[in-house]
Amino acid sequence: MKDNIANALAESSAREFAVYLLGNVPGLPPVAQSLHILAIAVIMASAVMVNLRLVGLAVPSQSPSEMIQRLLPWTFWALPVNLITGGLFVVARPNRYFYNPVAEWKFQMLVPVVLLAVVLYCMNVREPGYWEASPRRRNGARAIAATSLLLWLGIVLAGRWIAYTDYLYFLYE
Amino acid sequence: MPMPFPELWSWLETRPLAEHIGFTWWFPFLESLHVLGVGLVVGSILMVDLRLLGLTALTYPVSRMTKELIPWTWGAFILTVITGFGLFMTRAATYIENPAFQIKLIGLVAAGVNMALFQFKTFRQVPNWDADAVIPTAGRRAGLASLALWIIVIFAGRWVGHII
Repeated sequence: MKDNIANALAESSAREFAVYLLGNVPGLPPVAQSLHILAIAVIMASAVMVNLRLVGLAVPSQSPSEMIQRLLPWTFWALPVNLITGGLFVVARPNRYFYNPVAEWKFQMLVPVVLLAVVLYCMNVREPGYWEASPRRRNGARAIAATSLLLWLGIVLAGRWIAYTDYLYFLYE
Repeated sequence: MPMPFPELWSWLETRPLAEHIGFTWWFPFLESLHVLGVGLVVGSILMVDLRLLGLTALTYPVSRMTKELIPWTWGAFILTVITGFGLFMTRAATYIENPAFQIKLIGLVAAGVNMALFQFKTFRQVPNWDADAVIPTAGRRAGLASLALWIIVIFAGRWVGHII
């Protein structure tokens, strides 16, 4: 299936358009990359801060439930920005990303971490204070947060490493 | 803009450490940590700036937000300085002449001055307006300037690699 998507993209007019944009709009590559980093900063200030709070590492005076409600929407707005600014490069060079092991790891981490954020958010919407209502739920939230923190760390590091897979010789042995 | 101490920058990039970083996996390793640090620095500052601007987290006093977030900002900032210096020394003489790098440095200094002015002038009266949603103009201005300067630093920083 991956081959089919990569091939379809490689031959699509969307690819031609993305290549045209990146090559002809002055400064578009660094602007898109800067917006991508800015959106990462927003995720650090929202999902990552919420997770840090839930594991007890940051902003002790802020209420976890209130933070989930106030901050996770920022993450849900930042993600499409990342999708567009990052997707531009993927569409322009599908084979470079579809067959890049580090890019693959990045997406394998991205899907679960977004789902975990959605779970944190939705349960708290359905029942405000959900994650603080019992010791069991508090532990559940802590486990979700600890997992998410590791995933976000991996995602940010992997994102930069996509361009440097040549150094990871063990992948090609 | 011509920069002083040309010998220093050339000396720096011929250090064994600089060459080691430049030619091994250390470069992407430091670079990935640098992005992580940048995300945390700007993310934590963004939270304070938006509070100063009266846009978010209005139920929390300004002083408590800054007090709890500043360790994250400084910790991450130290990470970016160490990793950034490691990246810089690999091609110091080239980077120092790179206009994007120069803009980034100016933006960093300006952000630091803005923060110091806020800290030592506006913030001294914080007990008078700590819990207010709309804080004094000087404080809101500092928040807006900080936001703008850090966005400039991110753009200029990412642009560095496109000029070399």
